[in-house]
Amino acid sequence: MDILTTIGHPMRQDWRRMVVMGLMFALLMQVLMMIALMVRFQALPNYVVGYDWIGNVIHIIKSTPSWSDILPIVNQEWLIEIGKMNYDYGTGISEWSLNVVPIRMMVLFLLGALVALCLSLLRRHQCDVTTGTTLRATTGIGTILIAMTNATMSWVVCCAAPSWVVGLAMLGLGVSTSLALESMGPALNLAGFGLLLCTIVYLAWRKTRLPQLINRGLKNA
Amino acid sequence: MELRTSLKSALLAATLMPLGYAAQAEEISIAVGHQSMCTDTYTAGIVIKELGLLEKHLPTDGKYADAEYDITWADYSSGGPITNQMLANKLNFGVMGDYPLIVNGAKFQETDSLRTVYVAGTGYNLKGSGNAIVVPVESDIYSIDQLKGKEVSTPVGSAAWGMLLKAMQDNGIPTSEYVLKNQSPAVGAANIAAGKIDAHSDFCPWSEIMEYRGTGRKIFDGSETGVPYLHGVVVRQDFAEEYPEVVQAFIKAVYEAGEWIREDPMRAVTEMESWTGVEKEVLYLYFSEGGHLTLEPSIKTEWVDALKFNHSVLVKEKAIPPLDFDAWITEDYLKAAYADMGVDYEADKATMVDPEVANKGLPMEIWHSRDGVSTYASAAEFLKGMADIRATAALVNATYVYDAETGLKLFGKTAFWVKAGNNYATFLRKGEAEAYASANSGAVITFDEAIAEFASET
Repeated sequence: MDILTTIGHPMRQDWRRMVVMGLMFALLMQVLMMIALMVRFQALPNYVVGYDWIGNVIHIIKSTPSWSDILPIVNQEWLIEIGKMNYDYGTGISEWSLNVVPIRMMVLFLLGALVALCLSLLRRHQCDVTTGTTLRATTGIGTILIAMTNATMSWVVCCAAPSWVVGLAMLGLGVSTSLALESMGPALNLAGFGLLLCTIVYLAWRKTRLPQLINRGLKNA
Repeated sequence: MELRTSLKSALLAATLMPLGYAAQAEEISIAVGHQSMCTDTYTAGIVIKELGLLEKHLPTDGKYADAEYDITWADYSSGGPITNQMLANKLNFGVMGDYPLIVNGAKFQETDSLRTVYVAGTGYNLKGSGNAIVVPVESDIYSIDQLKGKEVSTPVGSAAWGMLLKAMQDNGIPTSEYVLKNQSPAVGAANIAAGKIDAHSDFCPWSEIMEYRGTGRKIFDGSETGVPYLHGVVVRQDFAEEYPEVVQAFIKAVYEAGEWIREDPMRAVTEMESWTGVEKEVLYLYFSEGGHLTLEPSIKTEWVDALKFNHSVLVKEKAIPPLDFDAWITEDYLKAAYADMGVDYEADKATMVDPEVANKGLPMEIWHSRDGVSTYASAAEFLKGMADIRATAALVNATYVYDAETGLKLFGKTAFWVKAGNNYATFLRKGEAEAYASANSGAVITFDEAIAEFASET
């Protein structure tokens, strides 16, 4: 209970910062992915397509009997597709694209907000250098895992359904590594959130325990 | 459970209320995902779309008497996105190659409530032609053995990727002895043209596009693996159960599209070029008599075995979900459609075209840009014909010959020619051409050298 109260305090105080950071995170990820694509392929995007995301989600809910199937399908729905069309072959073939996927944006928003909370707790609670570095590194690893598994770049490489590792493969990750990692996506995503949440809980726990530790130290002195 | 259903209904009611007034008459939406850059899907995609064949066969009586059809076509570069769109119920029909078909079936069976059924093929190559490994045209690589230690790219997850893995295994080259790169067809083709990759494995018709454009040279044809190369049609099961006659209509359209191509391949490839942007000379290699593709939609036992083999490759490499083939594949719609058309389904199913047998004795061809295609019974006549055309400086679109080993149709300019005495033979691979030359006291010569021998006589 004390831990929740300790977490709730900076959330109430810094909620604006968390919201801004969440939004920034979601938007910055899209920009970074687009830059990565342009650098990797040495080309600017030449087409943009917008999709009726809300209409599509309603259609999916309407036509999918099981709730357990709805979320994974909605999770793949695009809002915007922006990429490079190659007209050297056929009537044009999309060579690469960045897909703006609202559900992934929400995940990235949550990620940004959690990172902001971590930083807020770290700032409020002075740690020794080693602990501080460890906690920042843990936050960083969690962030990377979540961001990586929510990459929404694609290219027409895989006749198999596109997955998050397509983005990594596109940026040079080996085929065998890509395939080995593919099925681990959800686990890595959960691990990332797990690390962030553990960091937050640990920081809150330390803060709730600190007055007791200080009191115990004073008594022993 | 009831609470869940009520919540879902309430949510739907709230979101759909503004749209409620629109639904007055029964409208049947038919959405088809096809691939205009994949030749083997054309009879279930672009040909049906452009000729309006589905509209022609759709039922208009009985429960369909008042139905209004809304047909939409979506063109994709590969099968994966089609599966995603089918999951989202934005497409009812999907047309794709064997590996993506398997992924489609397995992904649907992985869900709790959704399924697809594999209802028909589009065409096949019995031995696996259509997939191939290509090297840059100036490369000194002539056989798959020479790929040890080299960089080979392929669209991972495609039929060409499966073919590459099997070809390497068959030739005793473990994955540790070559560098496998994941590249899309367009990127792979561009890298072959620029000599940036040692070899690229791709599906139909990318290898032939590279050969036709003079940027790439085939060193391995998919037929060497002996695994049939198939394409087919999947339909969402809920749609198929609700509108079985529409699925039958689609199959009738596939059949008629095949007939239309067989009737006049020249006309067909010229039309298809205007619809897809793929060069007609490349398409002719697939759709003409003796071409890579046999257009026929039946589902043969051998196809099911091939699909099971492909699934085992995917399971080994990518850990895709299991697939219950018995639940997924059905011939019911095919049989009903054939019966309606008065065509013997079992006869089609029992017929298997092997290019090695079927292409024996087929004439060589020259596609004159003005006069169309001329056929020549012998290599000597063909070469004389070419020499005559060159003498008039007339333009030739393409020439076609057959591989003496496999019966595979080839571009004359990319074949290896052997002159042994007064006889000429053509080969896909240099090694076999050299072996034939040595066994018959002949010599491997270029296409131009072969033509020049006849030019001197004029």
